[in-house]
Amino acid sequence: MESGDTVSIGDELKTFLEGPVSVLVGTRDSRLVPEITRAWGPRVFEDLRRISLCVPLATSRKTLDNLEANGEIAATFSLPTNYRTFQFKGRHAAAAEPDSTDLEAVERHRDAFAMVNERLGQPRRQVEAFWRGEIETSAALVKILFAPEQVFDQTPGPDAGKKL
Amino acid sequence: MSTASPPAVALESIASCFEGIIPASICTCSRDGTPNLTYLSIVHRVDSLYVGLSYQFFNKTRENVLQNPFVQVVVVSPTNLHQYRLDLRYERTETGGAVFDRVKTRLDAVASQTGMSHIFRLRGVDIFQVLDCRPMNAETSGEGPSRVDYLSQIEEFAARLAACNGLESIIDASLDALSELFGYDHSFLMAPDEEGKRLFTLGSRGFSESGIGSEAWIGEGILGVAAERREVVRTTNFSRDVLYSNAVRSAVERRGEDSLLEREIALPGLPHVESQLVVPLVAQDRLLGILCLQSATPGRFLSDDERVVRIAARQMAASMALLERAESTKLQAISRRPHTVQPTATSTVKHYQADDSIFIDDAYLIKGIAGRIFWKLVQSYAQNGRVDFTNKEIRLDVSLQLPDFKDNLEARLILLRRRLQERCDFVNLTQVGRGQFRLDVQRQLTLEEQS
Repeated sequence: MESGDTVSIGDELKTFLEGPVSVLVGTRDSRLVPEITRAWGPRVFEDLRRISLCVPLATSRKTLDNLEANGEIAATFSLPTNYRTFQFKGRHAAAAEPDSTDLEAVERHRDAFAMVNERLGQPRRQVEAFWRGEIETSAALVKILFAPEQVFDQTPGPDAGKKL
Repeated sequence: MSTASPPAVALESIASCFEGIIPASICTCSRDGTPNLTYLSIVHRVDSLYVGLSYQFFNKTRENVLQNPFVQVVVVSPTNLHQYRLDLRYERTETGGAVFDRVKTRLDAVASQTGMSHIFRLRGVDIFQVLDCRPMNAETSGEGPSRVDYLSQIEEFAARLAACNGLESIIDASLDALSELFGYDHSFLMAPDEEGKRLFTLGSRGFSESGIGSEAWIGEGILGVAAERREVVRTTNFSRDVLYSNAVRSAVERRGEDSLLEREIALPGLPHVESQLVVPLVAQDRLLGILCLQSATPGRFLSDDERVVRIAARQMAASMALLERAESTKLQAISRRPHTVQPTATSTVKHYQADDSIFIDDAYLIKGIAGRIFWKLVQSYAQNGRVDFTNKEIRLDVSLQLPDFKDNLEARLILLRRRLQERCDFVNLTQVGRGQFRLDVQRQLTLEEQS
């Protein structure tokens, strides 16, 4: 993708992104082989043009290598209760160690995600499997940061993928 | 097809990841290197080295797959929420054959059930070779083998069926055995009507209302699609399927003929059904009914359950077909026995000609062919005091205009008998021998014909 203008994230979308959504990050290597990882604690910057996410080191080494090598990133945010889904594409800016605000966002996000899944009938103890493994093996998180250049409504159906 | 080494985690060991209980995600990459990441409702396991993805809409994922065959999918185990990465390479698209049919039946059934048939159309199944499958977190392992040995239960099931001597006992023995031997506590059985258009419920277990007499269209909904195609339909997380459908929904088409279905009696069902397994009862290439199992637990019926219930259903259908043949060749003498007891209480039986519905003291009993048969019996009782009847004479009675192309009388009589048992404590229909039954009336009946 050619680097273009970044998009502005409206207030409504910001609230959605920082809610109890399932967050996945897609990258690719030099052979165009894709890699998916799960991310936590999304934060939309005050300028409404940048998003930061935390990925567990234990599950995301290839993702981080890919981001360092070519920067291409797609991040998908989906609400489990109604499948409302948005995909953001852009270029990765920088990896960093998360600060206390980032870690609080991760805690808050995991808690909200567990609660919404509990309402769908998934016991909290089970939902915690999404991060318990990482905490038990290697708890380290890495913050990634990107400025979206394209936003797509990815809600399932014939219109999925419509550019906003 | 190139040879490949088996994946680090065998697909068989994480079989429940491929049941569509928890959505999967898919990342593709365009030729120019832009990744695309979205969700999938289900990844189908074809065999130990191949998976299939349904192709319904042409979208970015498909565009990318055609440009660059390398894909990654993440599936989630419903038993422990462990995540697995599958590196895939697109190989071909199938538009027919066994895998396509299996995917299509499930898709059509759920689409039909949620009124979305016009939106969900399977164009093909994209077949991918699995290059690798590994846990997202290297520390997690597979689900471990969950194979249960059902052999002795199947043997017992067959033995119980062999002891049955009529359709009614086959239905009762089967539903009881499914619960007692396999723990399938919520079940019902439906039979096709004379025209092959509807299914009607003949027996059920484990619901607050039996639903006996309730109907469904053949070809519509999960029950109807399973009956029409004679294929098993298994849903593992219905509330997610409905959520997914609602997300896609743009319009709902309702069939105008809805009023022709039995509406007074609701289908048997759990208030929050999550898992359903619908298995057609087929013998000698003829649809004899469907068996439906329900559970409020997502993922209750997995592929092993499907295998077991397929075997049970084949046994049931074979027994039903055998008895049917035995019954239709037997001729019974008509025994006439005048009714002598004169009960004091009275009740009014109304027959509405328009749809053959029967009301006893203004309470709905049944309609259609079963209603017509009942009206004939009570008329004969009121005029001549007849109480004993044979299946044969009912079948041959021209005034009943029974469709003769399918012999469904036994099922109709069971339906009538059960509705009477549930709704009326002073009229009974009891089987007195093979092909013979008795009308047992404990009240004075006044008959009223309504147009």
